[in-house]
Amino acid sequence: MSRFTDDELKQKVQDGYMVESLEDMTEGYRKALRVQLTVQADTELMSAPSYWMAARHAPSTNTQVSAHAIIQDELAHANIAYRLLEDIGESKEQLVYGRQPHEFKHPYGFDQPLDNWAELVVANGFFDRAGITLLSDVHQNTSYAPLKRALVKIDMEETFHLRHGEVWMRRLAKAGGEARELLQRAVDWMFPMTIEWFGLPDDLKRHSGQLDYRLKGLTNDQLRQVWMASTVPLCEELGLDAPAHWNADKEEYVLDYPFPCQYDAVDKHWAFDEGEISWDAVFERWKGRGPMNEIYVESVQRSRGDVTRWLDGKAA
Amino acid sequence: MLDKVYDVFARKDRGDQLVHIGYVDAMDDETAKVHAWTTYDEERWFEMCVVERTAIVPVNRDDGPFAKARRAAHHD
Repeated sequence: MSRFTDDELKQKVQDGYMVESLEDMTEGYRKALRVQLTVQADTELMSAPSYWMAARHAPSTNTQVSAHAIIQDELAHANIAYRLLEDIGESKEQLVYGRQPHEFKHPYGFDQPLDNWAELVVANGFFDRAGITLLSDVHQNTSYAPLKRALVKIDMEETFHLRHGEVWMRRLAKAGGEARELLQRAVDWMFPMTIEWFGLPDDLKRHSGQLDYRLKGLTNDQLRQVWMASTVPLCEELGLDAPAHWNADKEEYVLDYPFPCQYDAVDKHWAFDEGEISWDAVFERWKGRGPMNEIYVESVQRSRGDVTRWLDGKAA
Repeated sequence: MLDKVYDVFARKDRGDQLVHIGYVDAMDDETAKVHAWTTYDEERWFEMCVVERTAIVPVNRDDGPFAKARRAAHHD
C-alpha cells in the first residue's frame, strides 16, 4: 500500500511531511489514524443525543435555538470525521448503523444522562473544553492533511460551544440559591468525569503510535493539564469547588482526590472516600458502558431501517 | 438510497479564493446543496458550490481520493 516503510514514514512525519491519502500511509499509520478518527467521530455523534435530550430543559426559545445549534454542529463534525474514515477505507454506514451500542468508542461521559439545564451548560463548559483541548492539539500537530483542514471548522465551532457553557455557568453562579446548588452538583460529577476522559497517565500508557506518527502532539497528562489550566481558574472565579489546585512547587495542577476512583452512575457520585482503584477497574466500568448508552445509540440508529425500506420499495 | 460523494468549495468574501472546505454524501445535486449548506455553516459564505467527486478530473496525480473516485466511476 505504502511507498514507505513504517520507520521511513515515522521519520518523514517528524520532519514535517504531510500525509494526503491512503497511498502515502503504512498499515500501522492507517490503523492508528483509524482509531483516532473513530473516537473523534463517535464522541461527536454521541454528544448529539446527549445534548438533544437535555435541550428540552432550555429556559427560552432563544436558548433552545442555541442548544440546537450546538447539536447541529456536533452532527456535522461527526459526519465529517466519518467521511474522513471512508477515505481511508472504512464504511460510514457500518460505523454509524452497523454497530452495537457498546461498540462505539466515545468516552464514558457521553453515556450519562444530562438531567437539567445546569448539567447541559457544564457539559458545554467541561466536555466541549476537553474536546477543544484534544482537537486543537491534533489541529496544530497532525501529519494527516485532510484532518488538519477539517479541523478549521470544528475548532471554530467548539469555541462557541465552550463560550455558551461558560456564559451560562457564570449566569447560574451569580443567580445563587438553587441555580448555584445545581451548578455545583453538576461540577461535582462532571469535573472528575472529564479528568478521566483524558485516559491513562503517561507512566502507564501503552505505546499507541499516535505520537510517533505525529497524529497528536501532547501526551495524556499534558492534555489533562491544559484542560485544568483553564477549567480550575474558571471554577475559582465563579466560586465553585473543583477538586484540583495549582501546586507551585510542582508547577502543575494536582487533583485533590484519589485518581482514578470508582463512580456510581445512578447517584452520579464519585467514591472519593473509597480510595484509588486500578485502571483495569476503570476500563471494566467503561466497557460496561453507562446508563444512557443504548438509548443514545438507538436514538441515532432508529429510523435508518424504516426509511431505507420505504425508499427501496418506492424505487422497485 | 445510494449516496454519492460531493466535494464542497467555498469563497468567504468577494475577492477571496475559492477553496475546498470539505465534502458531504448525498443522493443527488439538490440534496448535496442542502447538506453542504447546513454542514459547513461556520461562515457566511459569499459563494459555495458542490461538485460530484467523480466529475473532478485529476491533472497531475494518479493517486489520492479524486483519482480513485474517477477510476471507480469509469471502471464499474
